[in-house]
Amino acid sequence: MKTMRNRCLGVFIFLLGSSLCHAETGNTAPASDGFLLKGFGTFGVARSDSNSAEYVRDLSQPKGLTKSWSSKIDTLFGVQANLKLGAQSEGVVQLISRYRYDGSYRPEVSWAFLRHDFTPDFQVRIGRLGTEFYMLADSRLVGYSNLTVRPPPDFYGPLVFSYFDGFDTGWSTDLGAGLLRAKFYAGISPESSPFVSPITWNLNGSRLIGGHLDYFLGPWQLRIASADVKFNSELPIDALANLPLTTLVPETRVKNTHARFDSVGVVYDKGPLQVQGMLGRIRYDSVAYEDSRAGFVIASYRLGQFSPYLGYSKTRSSPGTFTTVGPFTGLAQTLASATHTNHHTITVGSRWDVYQNVALKIQFDAIRGKPDSAFTFRGDIVQWDGSMNVMSLALDFAF
Amino acid sequence: MTELSRHLSILGLLALLCWGDVLADVVVVVDAKSGVERLSQEEVINIFLGRYRKLPTGITALPIDQPQAGGLRAEFYRKLADKDVSEINAYWARLYFSGKTRPPLQANSASEVLAHVLGNPGGVGYLERSQADARVRIVLSFSP
Repeated sequence: MKTMRNRCLGVFIFLLGSSLCHAETGNTAPASDGFLLKGFGTFGVARSDSNSAEYVRDLSQPKGLTKSWSSKIDTLFGVQANLKLGAQSEGVVQLISRYRYDGSYRPEVSWAFLRHDFTPDFQVRIGRLGTEFYMLADSRLVGYSNLTVRPPPDFYGPLVFSYFDGFDTGWSTDLGAGLLRAKFYAGISPESSPFVSPITWNLNGSRLIGGHLDYFLGPWQLRIASADVKFNSELPIDALANLPLTTLVPETRVKNTHARFDSVGVVYDKGPLQVQGMLGRIRYDSVAYEDSRAGFVIASYRLGQFSPYLGYSKTRSSPGTFTTVGPFTGLAQTLASATHTNHHTITVGSRWDVYQNVALKIQFDAIRGKPDSAFTFRGDIVQWDGSMNVMSLALDFAF
Repeated sequence: MTELSRHLSILGLLALLCWGDVLADVVVVVDAKSGVERLSQEEVINIFLGRYRKLPTGITALPIDQPQAGGLRAEFYRKLADKDVSEINAYWARLYFSGKTRPPLQANSASEVLAHVLGNPGGVGYLERSQADARVRIVLSFSP
C-alpha cells in the first residue's frame, strides 16, 4: 500500500515536472505566472537552561534543546512549484528539509496536489495535503508568515501529523455581513513519528478525517474545528518494555482506536494590533494516552517594522483509568504517564521585518509546571523540576 | 515654551500637508461594462486578500496589484486593511505555502493594470483617481 502510494506520488510529480517543461512562458498577460518556483525557510538557533528535559518544537522531533545553542528545532528550508493548468486548476508540489522523526534532514514531499476551482465558491484538492487540525497549523513551518519563532508547543506540540494523502473541499458563502467558509478533508497518513529514541512509531495507514468552519467579519476571524484520527498500528511500547504489553494490558492498544482533536480559535487583526487565541481538547479512546486540554493567546502591536509580542499558553492532561488487574498494569500506567502535561509558558519576543520578505525574531519562553509534565518534551524527563527557560533567535525568509 | 510649541505645531501642520500630498487618492476600478456598480470595502478585502473572489454579478474576480515600486500598492493596502507591505507579504506567504489561493496578479505598470481590468470580465484593479477614465467604473474609493 505504501509503495503503491509512493509510486502514485512519484508519477504525479513526474507528470507535473514534465508539464512544467512545456509550460507556456511567453504569455502576454501581465505576470500571469503559469509556472512559479518559490521558497521559504528559517535559520534559527535556540537553547534552554535544562540538560534534562529537552524542548522540542513538536513531537515529530526526536531530540530537543539543551544548554548548548542548537539550530535543529527551528531551521528548515522549503521550495514550492506551482503550475497553472488552465484558469481554474493548479498543480502544486512542495519539498521541505527539516529535522525529522529519524533525526535526519532528508527532504520530504510535504504537499503535492491538484486543485480545481469549480466555482468561486467551491474547490477541491486531491493529493498530498498539509494537515490543518488547528487554525494556522498548515502553515506552521512557514516562519516568515508567523509572528512568533514557532507555534506554541503547549498547543501544537502533540500534533505529529504534518501531511496526509487524500483530498479536501472548500466552500465559501456570504453570511450576514461576513463570510463563511467550510472545509472538509479525509485521507491516510504516510508519516512516522519518533517514540522513545531510537524507536519510531509508524503512523502509515492511519486515517484522518476532519473539517472546520471559519467566519470572517471585519477584523475578526472565528474558527471551530474538529479532526479524527483512527490509528493503524500499535504504539511501540512492546519494543520499549521488551514485553508483550499490548497483550498483557489490552487497554494500551491504540490500533483501530480514535483520537479526536477539537478546537476553537479567534483572531482579531486590526491595523497594528493583532491578537490570536485558541482552545483545544484532545481525547483518546485508548488510556495509553492522557486526554488533554490546551490553550494559548498571543498579542502583538506593530511599531514601524517591529512587532513586539506577548503570549501565554497552557496545557493540562488527566490520566485515564486502567481496569485490567494484573502485574503489568502498573508498568502500563507508568508508560501512559509519559503523556502527562501540566505546565504553562509565558512568551515574550519581537519580530523585526528587516527587508522585504526577511524577518528577524528574538524570543524568550519561560515554562513553569510540575515535574511530571512530560509529554511535550524529549530527553530525561525524570530528572526535570518542571521549570525551563528558552532563548531563541530566528531569521525567516521567503523568496 | 509657548513659542516652541507654536513652532512645533506649525511644523506638524506642514508635515501633515506634505504627507497628504504624498498620499495618492487611490480608487478601486472595474470595467465600466462589467455590470458591477459598486463594491464594499469588505468585498474588496475578500477579493484582494484571496478570501472570496466572487463579484456581485457571480463571475470570478481577477484582482491585479500595482507594481511594488511607486507606493500606490502600499497606499492601497494601508487604506484597505490598515496593513503595511511586510504584513501583506507575510499574509501571502502563509496562503501561498499552504497551497491556498494565489496573490493578485502583479502588474509591471499602471497601464498594465488598466489593460487587465479592461481585458478581463472579472478584472479588478486600483488606480490613482486621475488615471481612472470613462472606460472604467470606480466601485470603491476611500474617504480621506
